Amino acid sequence: MNDVYLAGMGLACVLGDDMPSVLASLRHGGVPPTPVAVADGISWPVYALASREGDWTQRLCSTVRSVVAQTDKTGDLGPRTAPLFVASSSLDIGFMEYEKQDLRLGGDLQDFAGVVARALDWQGPVFTVSTACTSALNAVLAAADLIRSAEADEALVIGVEMDNRFTVAGFGAMQLLAPDSAQPFGAQRKGLVLGEAVAALRLTSQPARWQITGGANVVDGRNPSGTEASAVFAMCRGALMQSGLQPGDIDLIKVQAAGSPVNDAIEVEALKQVFDPLPPLVSLKSAIGHTLGAAGAAELALLVGCIEGGVWPTVDYPLDASLGIALSERAPQKLRNILLNVVGFGGGHASLVLKDVGS
Amino acid sequence: MSTWRTAAHFVAHPPPADWRDDLARRIGRRPRRVGLWTELAMYGARCCLDAAGEAALPAGARIRIASMRGAWGATHAGLTQLDAGLPMPFTFMQSQPALMLAEVGRCLEWQGDASFALCRDAARTLQLAKMGASRDGLLFGIVEEERNGELPRSEWWRLMPD
Repeated sequence: MNDVYLAGMGLACVLGDDMPSVLASLRHGGVPPTPVAVADGISWPVYALASREGDWTQRLCSTVRSVVAQTDKTGDLGPRTAPLFVASSSLDIGFMEYEKQDLRLGGDLQDFAGVVARALDWQGPVFTVSTACTSALNAVLAAADLIRSAEADEALVIGVEMDNRFTVAGFGAMQLLAPDSAQPFGAQRKGLVLGEAVAALRLTSQPARWQITGGANVVDGRNPSGTEASAVFAMCRGALMQSGLQPGDIDLIKVQAAGSPVNDAIEVEALKQVFDPLPPLVSLKSAIGHTLGAAGAAELALLVGCIEGGVWPTVDYPLDASLGIALSERAPQKLRNILLNVVGFGGGHASLVLKDVGS
Repeated sequence: MSTWRTAAHFVAHPPPADWRDDLARRIGRRPRRVGLWTELAMYGARCCLDAAGEAALPAGARIRIASMRGAWGATHAGLTQLDAGLPMPFTFMQSQPALMLAEVGRCLEWQGDASFALCRDAARTLQLAKMGASRDGLLFGIVEEERNGELPRSEWWRLMPD
């Protein structure tokens, strides 16, 4: 069985179109969300990508090409025959918003991944993974399965959430959005703030600094729009078991913490059942928003970028004292095993363990 | 695990006229606030498990679902609602594959690894589903709503590694 490593990564989000600009922006306090109008008199804040030239599809393709190019410092992606996983919650719904009604949905759910693959001139098999907020982590888990079983030496995972009003309006209609800013675990948290992002992760069987040692995906349908404590417990335990680790081996948890009044509290209580004491926690959604299907890839890339770049997200709002937790203000000194959690819409709960082999 | 056996194969293409009543009888309730696509998935998953003689799906099993058309009707309705003003919350939820996974899990009273993935080459989708699966095996479904004369389909396999 092969090991799985992170060979390269790329990121475009509200903070910038590549990792250096993302980290520079984070160092200077970040970028606020911008209002997106979904109907007359109704708008919601969104951590949006920088504007680009072209129509929706052209913007998608140029962003994807730019982000994937960041995954290899030499710019050489090789023969492009590895499996490609395109993870997204909204897929091409933003494109359809511009289409005439009778031309919408004439294709199928694989069309979006096909557009992404053509933008990259990709020759390998192309998969779509769409499980809402856990899409990108599930894509990483699937790609890791292929590499572990020696069905592939490499795989490319791209998480994509592009601009669209449909998702913003849908989450707004479900009363899940905050009217101003994202405040994970905050005393005044009012809901999540959506974000746009494109993130790419190049996975390989060849040793590199960051190893993906395990992960778990747990769907629990009892609360389709929320966090289920037993599922959080199960995903953490499952990821630790596959990694051969005990709770005390985890040095940092990248929490879900989208800013939901109820779900943030459930997540904390469930984490306390697994980890005693809790390791340091870090949240990234106050910096880039909840990037839904891209979140697993975007937050993994951002976290690794922060660690490697010596930058750390600041918390500029009061935390909810009743939760009994703190968010770390700097990277922990000992940082070997990191647990990344993503919980989402549709009862999806996914965890990934990342190991710094070089530490 | 390179060899697998089919413990059950259930095909509804199209489902029989009374499939909704059959689903309600099998799960002991009528699904509420779920879309047609989700209901088709619930029906096929439950029927396939029944055909396999399994009252419950083991916790370590995987569910994998693929679909080319997805929740076509709910997505179309949601976009039309957006044009007219705002999408309704339940229409939006019904358009999301993740909500279908949640409802399938709920109707099987099961918590575990469920995912929605597809590839133009259906064989690759199935191969991906098998990679890394546990000894509890796989419940694999292809679920399609009716569209433009194409028949609705809910086809499922209960697969076990040898």
